[in-house]
Amino acid sequence: MTRPRSPRNPRSTHPRSRRKPAPSRAWLGWLFKLALVGSVLLAGLMVYFDAVVQEKFSGKRWTVPAKVYARPLELFAGLKLDKQDFLTELDALGYRRVAAANGPGMVSVAGNSIELGTRGFQFYEGAEPAQRVRVRFSGNYVAELSRANGGKLAVARLEPLLMGGLYPAHNEDRVLIQLDQTPANLLETLVAVEDRDYYKHFGVSPKSIARALWVNAAAGGVRQGGSTLTQQLVKNFYLTNERSLTRKATEALMALLLELHYSKQEILEAYLNEVFLGQDGQRAIHGFGLASQYYFSQPLSELKLEQVALLVGMVKGPSYYNPRRYPERALGRRDLVLDLLAEQAIITPAEAAVAKKKPLAVTQRGTMANTSYPAFMDLIKRQLREDYQEADLTEEGLRIFTSFDPIRQTEAEAALAETLKRLGSRKGVDEVEAAMVVTNPETGEVQALIGSRKPRFAGFNRAIDAVRPIGSLIKPAVYLTALERPSQYTLTSWLNDEPFSIKGQDGQVWSPQNYDRKAHGEIYLYQGLAYSYNLSTAKLGLELGVPKVLNTLGRLGVEQDWPAYPSMLLGAGGLSPLQVAGMYQTIANGGFNSPLRAIRSVLTADGEPLKRYPIQIQQRFDPGAIYLLQNAMQRVMHEGTGRSVYSQLPASLNLAGKTGTSNDSRDSWFAGFSQDLLAVVWLGRDDNGKTPLTGATGALQVWTSFMRKADPAPLDMPLPDNVTQAWIDGVTGQGSDPSCSNAVQMPYIRGSQPAAGSPCGLAAPVESVMDWVRGWVE
Amino acid sequence: MNRNWISVLSVCAVMLGGCASAQRGAIPVVDAGVPLSSEGGTSSIPDGQSLEQDSGVVVMVPGGSSSAPIQTYPAPSGPSVAMPSSEPLPVGGYAMPVLPQPGAPSGIPAGGSLSADEQLDGPVLALLTTAQQQQGGGDLNGAASSLERAQRIAPREPQVLYRLAEVRLAQGDAAQAEQIARRGLTYAGGRPQLQASLWELIAQTREQQGDPQGAAQARERARVTL
Repeated sequence: MTRPRSPRNPRSTHPRSRRKPAPSRAWLGWLFKLALVGSVLLAGLMVYFDAVVQEKFSGKRWTVPAKVYARPLELFAGLKLDKQDFLTELDALGYRRVAAANGPGMVSVAGNSIELGTRGFQFYEGAEPAQRVRVRFSGNYVAELSRANGGKLAVARLEPLLMGGLYPAHNEDRVLIQLDQTPANLLETLVAVEDRDYYKHFGVSPKSIARALWVNAAAGGVRQGGSTLTQQLVKNFYLTNERSLTRKATEALMALLLELHYSKQEILEAYLNEVFLGQDGQRAIHGFGLASQYYFSQPLSELKLEQVALLVGMVKGPSYYNPRRYPERALGRRDLVLDLLAEQAIITPAEAAVAKKKPLAVTQRGTMANTSYPAFMDLIKRQLREDYQEADLTEEGLRIFTSFDPIRQTEAEAALAETLKRLGSRKGVDEVEAAMVVTNPETGEVQALIGSRKPRFAGFNRAIDAVRPIGSLIKPAVYLTALERPSQYTLTSWLNDEPFSIKGQDGQVWSPQNYDRKAHGEIYLYQGLAYSYNLSTAKLGLELGVPKVLNTLGRLGVEQDWPAYPSMLLGAGGLSPLQVAGMYQTIANGGFNSPLRAIRSVLTADGEPLKRYPIQIQQRFDPGAIYLLQNAMQRVMHEGTGRSVYSQLPASLNLAGKTGTSNDSRDSWFAGFSQDLLAVVWLGRDDNGKTPLTGATGALQVWTSFMRKADPAPLDMPLPDNVTQAWIDGVTGQGSDPSCSNAVQMPYIRGSQPAAGSPCGLAAPVESVMDWVRGWVE
Repeated sequence: MNRNWISVLSVCAVMLGGCASAQRGAIPVVDAGVPLSSEGGTSSIPDGQSLEQDSGVVVMVPGGSSSAPIQTYPAPSGPSVAMPSSEPLPVGGYAMPVLPQPGAPSGIPAGGSLSADEQLDGPVLALLTTAQQQQGGGDLNGAASSLERAQRIAPREPQVLYRLAEVRLAQGDAAQAEQIARRGLTYAGGRPQLQASLWELIAQTREQQGDPQGAAQARERARVTL
């Protein structure tokens, strides 16, 4: 029962179906039918594969995670910048130290003068050109910025440090590159090492397969694969890692189809972006673009021969030849590649010899570029998720520009680590956790964030999520409420620091106590804040009204719906370190509230502006009241609970701040600021247990260490129009005169100052000093 | 009484003061936390006294796409952009130790004989210029972004805040424009010309916010400051 093959079948193009009709024997007929069915099936499969190949290749080939960048370093004459910090940042950006910096990514150092070729970068405001600039340092300042040819240059930006990406579930990461961005030798090296006949074959290379068979047979095992670059791409792109003949056949078919539709250059470019080159924890490093960043912190286009050879060599086994884990193995592989290049006359033997003398020069993990900043990234993600879909963030290759300052972060981490080590001898300190927030009060931008005493550890982000009683950190809100009423309160109003009890609405009796369990009698209002007295502060707060104080707290930027209990006046309410930073930000910024910002702008993958996060400020307080509060908070540092700061910092560095300690020292807080830097530190245990640390002995020590490293500008709020400086007698609080020896200057809201005193004359100072001494002795 | 006796007494007083930490009533006489001037002078911060140079200084922007000049305003002779006189190094991150450079092409017209502290610094002027070009080209977002860049470099320069407020107003955010102008005012002590301009800008923002009365008040302030 045979049936002649239909000659009209147009799809029977497969070689096997082109057989001549066989003699009419039954088994031949069966064979023929089988072949027919097989060829139809195969044809169908080809059509299907073809669709698969084209669909994936013509569309968007990869999803690219959003990239998050630190702030770019702005260079200009007068910038306060430590030369070493500058060089550290350049190292993190992968600048190569050379004798003469005549190209992008190169830097030469001659004493205090540094020349570099910036790389240029697309920012929200526009493109920053790649240019050669000269930076001259003097002390901790940039004394001069100019073009390398001596031309004038007012301001220049480095490219920003890449902090990380927002990875989707499959954790693939890549930096897409185009063929014209590849360094010299990369394509030749890749072809020479992986697929010598790439430009000659049509997707599969029988010659290679034969060679591989020969080599493997000779070696008695699998030594060499016969896969072409096209096959490798197909395997990574469309197929699983399964080792089977079916997969091999599919791979070959798809490789043929790919070559049919696309040019060698297109396939090569896809290969460069797809190839797997390493594993960074959860993150898979795909493509030469990212691998270049990951191993060298440099853009791919800047790579030299020996670096290219290393990366190409790693294609064979990225884990086996991991240059960070197995440097010798990687070095051997690199040199083998270099030899091969010389053998194939792609480079001269001399070039190979020079390149082989170079070290691997991969960046160390733990340097700025190869360090993750989980707490800050967490903050960024939370803010982004308010504006973007998850898929937009993980797939569209968005570029996120942040205010993160790696120099400040490094200083904060070092301050925390050193202080915890120093305090470590005290029992219980090793169980203390930590969080820290660093902002610029003049812009409201977050510069650094620590969420754990191990800042590399991505886990509970205490800077954002640890809501803990703030203790005396609340007190500025109490005093600000008072100072807003200049007719009733000035910094030198008298307060009574005496024990008292009140009965709450729930019938419970509240009897606050001072930390030293003592009463301090009549004190100046500012002293209640400076020495953090609970009795006088609570009494003042009750006079003002708890709801009024909570209202002030709200205006300072702290959203809360705390019950108006008297205990709130002493900080029973809980806030996160980030919320505390927002509160103190308003005080530091002259009474102007601004929501803390960490994102500046977002660009699309093509560098088109997408979104900006502009500065938002709102005046919430009279600058005069803020000026007085800042003055009292400066006295915290100079004479009060924060005065240990000046055992490490110069007295000329005006700082303002407040210590905070919750009951039984469960929370150790410090919040304070200079003109241009605000930091909040929290130390405490996750289980809310007791610690051996007060705000002054714990958090303030971290804060002081940080400020010493950061070397900020002294606090200097301009004197508001409605504030006047008056001379008063430091003992009596009455108006005095600068000629009197115990006269001190205090700021007052105009009209609330004591009446001016009369001059003391020549002899009088001695008299009053004696009076003063007598007053103390008695 | 001779001077030695006085100093002995003072030393005793200081030492006793050190011991008597429980002594609460007295405010420490020596306190670096306040602008105490041992010379008996008043505060180094200008107390709103009027200054000689009231006229705004017009600075031509080189190469700007817009022909409008950037107007700069004289800074007070006092340190509203404070630089402690004992400190030779700049404070605030941007006011560089200004060395008047004869003939430096800073964009200041040759006719104007400005003292160094009236000039905007190089980076700030450059960024204001960029922002003006962007604004001229209709790129208000870019202009605002460049101005924020300038503000990060010179956070206490009221002229930057003035420009930023202008751009935000042009963008239609009158409320923010007013707030930024108000922030500018807090840094504009002793610069009546600039204060008047800021008040005038505040008046415009209030008009846009439907507050003619507030606008009139701001105009009055603008008139009075001049």
